[in-house]
Amino acid sequence: MDLKKFRSKSPWLLHYNTGSCNGCDIEILACLAPKYDLERFGILNRGNPKQSDVLIVTGPVTKRARERLIRLYLEMPEPKVVVAVGACACTGGVFRHMYNVLNGVDKVIPVDVYVPGCAARPEAIIDGVVKALEILERKRKDFVPPKVCKNLEVKEPVNRKFFLEKCLGVKNGS
Amino acid sequence: MGNRITIPFGSQHVALPEPIKFVFQTENERITSVEVDVGYVHRGIEKACQTKFKYTQVGYVVARVCGLCSISHTLAYVTAVERLMEVEVPKRALYLRLIVSELDRVHSHLLAMGHTAEVAGYENLFMQTFRYRETVMELLELLTGNRVQYDYACIGGVNRDVTPEVAKTLKERLKELKEKCLWIKDVFENDLTLKYRWKGVGVVTKEMAKEFNVVGPPARAAGLETDCRAEFNYLPFDEVGYKMVVRKGGDIYDRNLVRAYEVLNSIEMVENALDSLPQGEIKVPVKGLPDGESFVRVEAPRGELFYYVKGSKKLVLDRVRIRVPTFANIPVMKELFIGMDYSDVPATVISFDPCLSCTAR
Repeated sequence: MDLKKFRSKSPWLLHYNTGSCNGCDIEILACLAPKYDLERFGILNRGNPKQSDVLIVTGPVTKRARERLIRLYLEMPEPKVVVAVGACACTGGVFRHMYNVLNGVDKVIPVDVYVPGCAARPEAIIDGVVKALEILERKRKDFVPPKVCKNLEVKEPVNRKFFLEKCLGVKNGS
Repeated sequence: MGNRITIPFGSQHVALPEPIKFVFQTENERITSVEVDVGYVHRGIEKACQTKFKYTQVGYVVARVCGLCSISHTLAYVTAVERLMEVEVPKRALYLRLIVSELDRVHSHLLAMGHTAEVAGYENLFMQTFRYRETVMELLELLTGNRVQYDYACIGGVNRDVTPEVAKTLKERLKELKEKCLWIKDVFENDLTLKYRWKGVGVVTKEMAKEFNVVGPPARAAGLETDCRAEFNYLPFDEVGYKMVVRKGGDIYDRNLVRAYEVLNSIEMVENALDSLPQGEIKVPVKGLPDGESFVRVEAPRGELFYYVKGSKKLVLDRVRIRVPTFANIPVMKELFIGMDYSDVPATVISFDPCLSCTAR
């Protein structure tokens, strides 16, 4: 079984709200519900960044959410795609140039698909995610895995207690 | 003395679509202390309303405070400015506002109920509730032109009229919706496993509700008779058959039941309003600039929403102050958690239906 093969067949979503008004969030929830049913593409909404392939971001990036967003993006395994949902996530929307807002998501992390609208309609979100899956497939083909370094030769067995003693210059317990 | 563990819940979590951060200190799975952080979605709307936007535009900006109760925010702001400028709103516009705000309450309550069910592990019930919620969304789209952000109310009336065909369709679909909501109410009231899971969990007593000034469905579930629709005259609620829903338990089960009964009441009110819709204008022209100050209390789906508006004969307002329902409910949430099992936390948080976009603005 090759994991790579199934990543675009059954991609998992990670949804993060960086300061939106909940309008797009409930539309994403509506997408996962029976009427629009995003799950028919094999998509599951999971909260774990380490198992996700598609990052859906809603809302303009506030200054406090910036750090979290970068961290979530970095925790996701390669290849990954980012979908910016809603007018706020694309450009900042009505919140553009407010004092606590960094406008669009592309100011912080690279974005692959933009879904406009206030709030973005579920049909538009589905279109955006399907487009993102095509990009994911393309990225998977072009993906060059990072080179594995040669194993370091360990001269002596690593002893944590011994190492700490050496670093701190004190004997443990004294 | 057991195992002491610090558990962070949020700001990104599976159960929460919004960023809120709780840091729980637990001892053998029992919570001993908790810290709450709600500031992740602060955008500075109040400041922008006082500097960037004209008073005619602010109604559309404050609609973006929260997507779930956007009509409540617009309604509150618009009512405040109308009282300031002494505008007489036509009766038909008031009725149309009432219809949209009640339909908004239906969709928000159904979302909250479904979400509580999902967090407690009832995936199927969540899906069913959401399927029925789609009917309301379609009705709102038919009536206002958009699914989430309606921008329906404006200063002096409403932006869009309802045609006889639309009214007819609305009535037909509402009948359908009522049956579905009765079924949902039945499940939430009588299902045995739901009762076992939710009865006696996260209890807010009446004294607690009074002391911490709880608002909205949590307060009404605890037996506190508080509802702005009955207390503050901003829309003709008493003409269309408004009834207050009060229960005594104060736990998750009762909070959901309050919502279920309110949904039924709201549908009834919309039907009555459509039947007795007055004829006439939907909008009056507004002249002059706001001068003086006024406040408005509006019952948003989550509870009391308070708006304070101050102007001094300028295009831009001096002050817009927004106090939202979740802000009033956070202290009691914090009090509840101490001594509770950690496994009950997600269900309790969601049963309060927190709206962090409103709180942080």
